[in-house]
Amino acid sequence: MSLTLLRDWIQSPFRHFRLFHQFVRQEFSGQFAGSLGGFLWLFVTPVFNIAIYSFVFSVVFRAPVPDNFGDVPFVIFLMIGYLPWFAFADAMGRASSLLLDKAPLITKVMFPVQLIPLVGTVIPFMVHGIAFVVFLLYLSTQGLVNVAWLWLPLAFVLQCLFTLGLVSVLSAFCVFLRDIQQMVALMLTAWFFLTPIIYPLSMLPEQLQPLMMLNPMHSFVQFYREIIVLGEFSLPHFHVMVLSAAISYLFGGWLFMRIKHAFGDVL
Amino acid sequence: MFSITVENLQKDFRIYARPQDRLLELLMRKPRHRVFEALHDVSFNVLEGKSLGIVGDNGAGKSTLMKLLVGTLQPSAGSISIKGQVAALLELGAGFHPEFSGRRNIYLNASLLGVPDDDIVALENDIIEFSELRDFIDQPVKTYSSGMYVRLAFSIATMVRPDVLVIDEALSVGDIAFQKKCVQRMNDFRQQQKTMVFCSHSMYHVQELCDTAIWLERGRIREIGKSEDVVAHYEDYCNSQRVYTKGQEQVQVHDNEATAAAKDCRILYTRVLNEDGEPVDSVAPLQNIVLEMQVEMLNDNVRCYFGFAMMKDLDAVMSSYLATERPEVENGPFRQGEIITVQVRLQAMAMRMGAFHLLGGVADESGLLWYETKLSKEVKITANKGLGSFVMASSWTVKHG
Repeated sequence: MSLTLLRDWIQSPFRHFRLFHQFVRQEFSGQFAGSLGGFLWLFVTPVFNIAIYSFVFSVVFRAPVPDNFGDVPFVIFLMIGYLPWFAFADAMGRASSLLLDKAPLITKVMFPVQLIPLVGTVIPFMVHGIAFVVFLLYLSTQGLVNVAWLWLPLAFVLQCLFTLGLVSVLSAFCVFLRDIQQMVALMLTAWFFLTPIIYPLSMLPEQLQPLMMLNPMHSFVQFYREIIVLGEFSLPHFHVMVLSAAISYLFGGWLFMRIKHAFGDVL
Repeated sequence: MFSITVENLQKDFRIYARPQDRLLELLMRKPRHRVFEALHDVSFNVLEGKSLGIVGDNGAGKSTLMKLLVGTLQPSAGSISIKGQVAALLELGAGFHPEFSGRRNIYLNASLLGVPDDDIVALENDIIEFSELRDFIDQPVKTYSSGMYVRLAFSIATMVRPDVLVIDEALSVGDIAFQKKCVQRMNDFRQQQKTMVFCSHSMYHVQELCDTAIWLERGRIREIGKSEDVVAHYEDYCNSQRVYTKGQEQVQVHDNEATAAAKDCRILYTRVLNEDGEPVDSVAPLQNIVLEMQVEMLNDNVRCYFGFAMMKDLDAVMSSYLATERPEVENGPFRQGEIITVQVRLQAMAMRMGAFHLLGGVADESGLLWYETKLSKEVKITANKGLGSFVMASSWTVKHG
C-alpha cells in the first residue's frame, strides 16, 4: 500500500508532466506578471544583495578571512552559504500557504495535488538557482573556477529534494493546523542562525561543532563552500546530504500522499 | 452500460466546535467532534449517454454529491465508479490565474482537465469562438466580468469533450443569450451519447436537459425517477413550502396588501385539452384547443385575474391571453378552499411546427403583480404539409375572367 503511494509520488511529475509544466510556467511568470521590470528582477535582486553584503562585511565589519578557505574574501564565503540557504528558506516560508491558497482548486477540481508542493519548491530553486549562477559567473571572472564545480548541480538537486520533503509535510499539516504558518517563520530564523552561514564553523565552541553534523543545511552549505573555493569536498558532508535528501523526500512524499485525500474535508 | 454507478454512498463531516479540537482528538484519541451526515445511503445508476438532474433545497447535499462524483471528496462509506474521463464545472474558473490572459488560462485549465497540449492548440479557436471573447482573450482575466469568466470556463470544460460532464449551477450566471448557447451545447452533448450530471435550481433546465432526476432532501434520496415527475413533485413541495412561509408572514404584516395577495391562491395544474375536453400532449395545426388551469383559493375574498401564455422557452412568449382586458370574465371574490377551473377556447391553432409550454398565471387586481404561475408539460405541434412556421384558416377561390 505504502509502496504504491511512494511510486505515485515519485512518478507524478513525469506522469503529469504537462500539468506540472503548466503550473511551473504559471507560477514562475506569475511572480512577475504585471511588473514593469519582469524577469530583470531575477538578476537585479542577487546583484543588489551581493553588493549590500559586500559593503556590510568588508567595509563595516571587516570580517576576517575564515580558516581553511585560503585567502577568499569573507563576503564570498558568506554568499556561497547565503544563496542556497535563501532558496531553502524561501521554499519553506511559502510552504504553509501553498495549499491554503489553492483551496478553491483542490476542492473543486480533481488533479494530482502532490504537484503543488513540488511546484512550490521548484520555483524558489529556479529563481535562486539563477541568482546562484549569476554569482558563479562573477566568481569565475575572479579566477575562482575549477572542475569540481561539476558537482554543484547534483548538490543543488539533493538540496531541492531535501527541501521538497519538508515543504510537503509542512504544507499538508498547515491545512489542519494553521498555527504552523507562524511557527515556521520562527523556526526558520532559529535555523538560519544555528547554521554557520554568516559565521564560520570555527567560531562555535569546539564541543558544539560535531553537533552540526545533525544539521543537514550545514552540510549543504559546507559542501558548496568546499567545492567552489577549494575544488574538493569531504565525504561525511556528502553522506549527510544524500541521506537527508532521501529520507526527507521519501518520508515527506509518503506522508503527503497518505493524507491528501482529507484535504477536501477541511479546506 | 452504466456510466456512473453509485452504491450506498455515505458522507459524514466531522464538525469541531473549535479548531484546536481537531488536533486534540488526533493527540488524545478522545472524540471531540460531532458527525454531520451530509449524504446517507445514496444509490443510483446513470446509463451511458443519459443525463441526470439533481434537485433539492439548499444544504440538501447536492454539492457534496457533486464533489464526491468528481473525486475531490472521499466517501465515508459506499462506492462510486465512473467510466471514462470526467470534466467538472463545480465552480466556474476555479483554476484561473487572475493575472494571466484568457488565452494562457485556456491552456492551464485544459491541462487541469487532462487535455494534451497539442489538442488544446486545435481547440483554442473553438473555445474563443464559443465564449465570444475574441476581443478580450489577450487581456488578464482579472479584468473580466463574472459573466465573461463563466463563458470562458464553460467553453473550456465542454470543448474538451469529456465522457462525463458534471455541472453545478453553471447556467445561473451569464446572460440569456449565452444560457441558450449552453443549453444547446449540453443538448449536443446528449446527442453524442455523453453522460451528464447536472445540478440546478432551475427546474426548467433540469426538465429540459435531464432524462432522470434525483430529489435530495437532507442527504437522502427522497425521489428518483423521470425528470418531469421528480421536478413536478419537487415544485409542488416548494410551492407548499412557500404558501406555508407566506402564511406566516401574513400574520405579521396584516396591512400590506401586496404581500397579503401573494398567498391567496395556488395553481394546481395547467394543461392543454382538445375540443372534446381530453388532455393532449400534441396538437395539430388549425385544431381547436382549450387551455385549462385549476386554481385553489387559499383565502376568502380573493379577487384576481387569470392569464395564459404559450411559451417557446422561459423567456419567449409566443402568444398570450389575459383576462385583465376582459371585464366579462369572472374575477371573484372567491372563497377559501374553492377550486376554480379556468378555460380559454382557442380556434384554429396557428403554429405549424415546434412545441410550446403552457404557462398559467394568476395576477392580483391591478393586473400588474403576477403572484402565481405554473408551466405545463411540453406540448408538441405535429407539422402538416407545407412550409413556414404558422398557418391560418384559409379558403380558396379560382375565378374565370
